[in-house]
Amino acid sequence: MIDPDLVSLTITLKLAGVTTFILFLVGTPLAWWLARTRHTAGFLIEPLVALPIVLPPTVLGFYLLILFSPSSGFGKLWTSITGSTLAFTFEGLVIGSVIYSLPFYVQPLQVAFEGVKQDLLDAAATLGAGPLDRFINIVAPLCRRGFVVAGTLAFAHTVGEFGIVLMIGGNIPGETRVLSIALFNHVETLQYGRAHLMAAGLLVFSFVLLLAVYTLNRQRPGQSKRLSIGS
Amino acid sequence: MEITADIHLTRNAGFILDVDITVRPRGITALYGPSGSGKSTLLRLLAGLERGTDKDRIRITSENTVWQDETTFVPPEKRGIGFVFQQQQLFPHLTVQGNLHFALNRQHTQNDLDADQVYEWLHLMPLMGKEIYQLSGGEAQRVAIARVLLNGAKCILLDEPLGSIDTASRSRILPYLDRLHRNLQIPMVYVTHSYEEITYLADYLFVLDEGKIKSKGSLLELSSTLELNSVEGESAAAVIQCTVAKHDLTYHLSELDFEGATIFVNAENYRVDESLRVRIPARDVSIATTQPDNSSILNVLEVEVVSFEENPGPSVLVRLRRNKQFILARITKKSLNILNLQRGQKVYAQIKSVALLMENTGE
Repeated sequence: MIDPDLVSLTITLKLAGVTTFILFLVGTPLAWWLARTRHTAGFLIEPLVALPIVLPPTVLGFYLLILFSPSSGFGKLWTSITGSTLAFTFEGLVIGSVIYSLPFYVQPLQVAFEGVKQDLLDAAATLGAGPLDRFINIVAPLCRRGFVVAGTLAFAHTVGEFGIVLMIGGNIPGETRVLSIALFNHVETLQYGRAHLMAAGLLVFSFVLLLAVYTLNRQRPGQSKRLSIGS
Repeated sequence: MEITADIHLTRNAGFILDVDITVRPRGITALYGPSGSGKSTLLRLLAGLERGTDKDRIRITSENTVWQDETTFVPPEKRGIGFVFQQQQLFPHLTVQGNLHFALNRQHTQNDLDADQVYEWLHLMPLMGKEIYQLSGGEAQRVAIARVLLNGAKCILLDEPLGSIDTASRSRILPYLDRLHRNLQIPMVYVTHSYEEITYLADYLFVLDEGKIKSKGSLLELSSTLELNSVEGESAAAVIQCTVAKHDLTYHLSELDFEGATIFVNAENYRVDESLRVRIPARDVSIATTQPDNSSILNVLEVEVVSFEENPGPSVLVRLRRNKQFILARITKKSLNILNLQRGQKVYAQIKSVALLMENTGE
């Protein structure tokens, strides 16, 4: 039989990986839009994106739980399509994580995008490059480090999730029991040895990730501006 | 490519750009004026880098295609134009070669321009492998110009291309632009506030001031007007057109024909009968009322006094006519009084220096 802690580790990595991938697809255009728009809606969307930073995870989890319930429009739609509910499932955790980690992906990327001079994009346009061409061949390579920082933070933050998982995912072994929940269980049941192992593992993992991000952030000569982490 | 633009645009600060221009399909059209006159805005509108608001009236057409009106807006990437920025705007994540390939891979039209020829004209071979941050301002601008040429632009717009470059590099890059002007059929629109650059490069001129066109015409017509030159002070100069008459190998001089008179210049590799543009700085022209004898100055022209500039300074600008062309002389007010110059009087203009500019590519 496989060690239940290893199962938790697998679920955690899978959750963080899927969340980061979805954020790459959803958060990238959002960050670009926020970096470039002069539309007044930007003033409203920006704090909305940042909300998960300050909100207690339980608040977010509570509203998500209500949203997921089959009596809500969204929950009903999901159930009619997939035949199962979202609460206490891995899919539900992914949706919660995407929302919860959104600012950690969008904000560093937005800062990186804002550092790309409009004149460079104008130059690319007059050379015949359309909007997508400009994004892929000018913006993306110039913001390479922004992408790495954003992806790393989103991944690490998802790994560290606790409150929201407890609210919408519960503690189902092999399904929604992630590392932080497993750690909590070990402490509750006074298995301090296992708790130590897990806590130290998460600590070292987080430190190494942040070390990598900050090392990457050091400016090399001739390279574009440094990227800020977080907000 | 001919471009016409009829623009009435209002900016937040109350600035109004109200112009109606046609860019000729050949030669260099210069937009000239002080900063804040609206010349850069006009250029960016032509490129599609700015588009005004719904309240503005903008109509830009190129040949039979509408680029912008109430209902249409063609984005810059579809206009087939090239744009040279004051700050180059080379892509910092690519090498020099990478920047040039970016342009080559996105050509607006298949042009018959040979890439190796362009590299040679602009002396780019030694720069190819360099990173952008390793380039000097002058080198970066040469790469930016090459990028536009390789891109197959049908019209090149230049926004103060020498504005960010130090004076020494500037005088080195002017001959490059001159060479392009001589070798290419591509029309250019050149924005500058430097009168010197205008006299070197422009064929046609639009003089802008406070968002309006103050005067327009060919450089030859406008360069000798007092209105344009009075603000130029020490750099006032007239541009004339001459034809190469013959070469004097003994003294290593070339003789140019200017309205029936002869102008001597250092021998250059020009064909006889070739049409040349010559720049004569006003401060290098002096006036005598009788034919000067025993002078070391070779170039003495019989001319007629047309008009004087009225201003409070110590010197005065005099406009002199020979048949259909004009030159300018800057003399002191004291000399003006001693010689008692009158309009219509025949005098002798002694020219201390002339600068050959280029083959005349205008019509």
